Amino acid sequence: MVIDTHIHPALFAPICTDANRFGQRCDEMNYHLMKPSDMGLLKEQYALADIGRVVLLPEDCSAETGTPAISNDEIAQLVAIDPAFYLGMAAVDPRRVDACAELERAFAELGLSGLKVNTARLKMYPSDERLRPLYALCRRYRKPILFHAGLCLENRALAKYAHPMEFEEIAQDYPDVNICLAHFGWPWVQETAALLIKYPNLYANTALVNFDGPYQLFEKVFRQDMGEDWLEHNLADKVMFGSGSPRIRPVRSKRGMDSLGLSPKVMDKIYRHNAIKFFGLEEAE
Amino acid sequence: MEFKLQEIPVRAHEEFAMLRITDTVRDCVAHSGIRNGVVFVITEHTTTGITVNESLPCVEEDIMETLDRIAPEEHSYHHNHYLPSYGTIGGNAPGHLKSLLTGNHCVFPIAEGRVLLGSAADIYFCEYDGIKDRKYMIYMMGE
Repeated sequence: MVIDTHIHPALFAPICTDANRFGQRCDEMNYHLMKPSDMGLLKEQYALADIGRVVLLPEDCSAETGTPAISNDEIAQLVAIDPAFYLGMAAVDPRRVDACAELERAFAELGLSGLKVNTARLKMYPSDERLRPLYALCRRYRKPILFHAGLCLENRALAKYAHPMEFEEIAQDYPDVNICLAHFGWPWVQETAALLIKYPNLYANTALVNFDGPYQLFEKVFRQDMGEDWLEHNLADKVMFGSGSPRIRPVRSKRGMDSLGLSPKVMDKIYRHNAIKFFGLEEAE
Repeated sequence: MEFKLQEIPVRAHEEFAMLRITDTVRDCVAHSGIRNGVVFVITEHTTTGITVNESLPCVEEDIMETLDRIAPEEHSYHHNHYLPSYGTIGGNAPGHLKSLLTGNHCVFPIAEGRVLLGSAADIYFCEYDGIKDRKYMIYMMGE
């Protein structure tokens, strides 16, 4: 069974009933010419990649846009459809006057499983003082943080705010909080790898969506940009599978990962075990 | 002369599949009221196909495996790049190429209210980029 740690539910039908809101979300997140998908269809698509658990990511830049592109309530609504299958993260624009209260509500009332932060989209560095109260809440509630890291394909986002090295200070200051650098911090994958070997609380996911097809891309990132054995020998306990859907179909992302030919033991860690550890899930899952 | 159009929804429950649609086409023609004419079966998509072949599992496997050899998933395709018009990676080049090879439609005579097909012939909707909700058209002309 595979855990996909990186899915943006922008096109999930139950939260696409308002056409204006759907259009606004797609414009903001840079998804076009795509229609909403019903939950049954999505689950059939996940099954193609043996995905048995999915982490849903929200998006909140509401201080700029007026409303979150994907709200915490919408994430909770989707999780409630199948709580054994979906795991929901929370997002809060730290510029909101009620930012801390909203994150507490997301954790305590909505039962969401961690915090997603996109500093590229917020245009603030991870060490920005406005974000630290949110990190402190994650520490208090024992919730992990998933940072967008590296290039962000969304409109109005700047990669300089999400360079992997910008997250080192947070990894150091919050050693008891699990932190994931999504997209492996691409294109700065060596910087991400360097941080992974130093900080026990730091993880990365494989949501690679940039050049070529998955076979070529995974070969380039994990065999050429990094040493051939870095995943197998050095980072096996620090990397989680994530697709980055809907920019890529999960089954295709998994084919790229499979094509690396890692040992079954390491594949099991990347596909499942590391995510169980990161999110504090039950081992039986 | 009468013209009648039916749009048929279809979902393959696999990523790649040949779905036999002969009975759907026959039923549609039988209920159309058209006694003599032609029927076109046309897919609406560019990573699916409509074709005719013998409905044997071994033949279906040979067709799909041959298409895989011609357009393998792992090849480096021009279409494999970030598409700003979608905001996604173009990952379905094999589906487009298989669609090209299969074609988007088939045509059959209607005689005495029945579709004329060879004794070994069945009509297929071919899915090359599933799992998705798809549609094909059955367009009947005649009197």
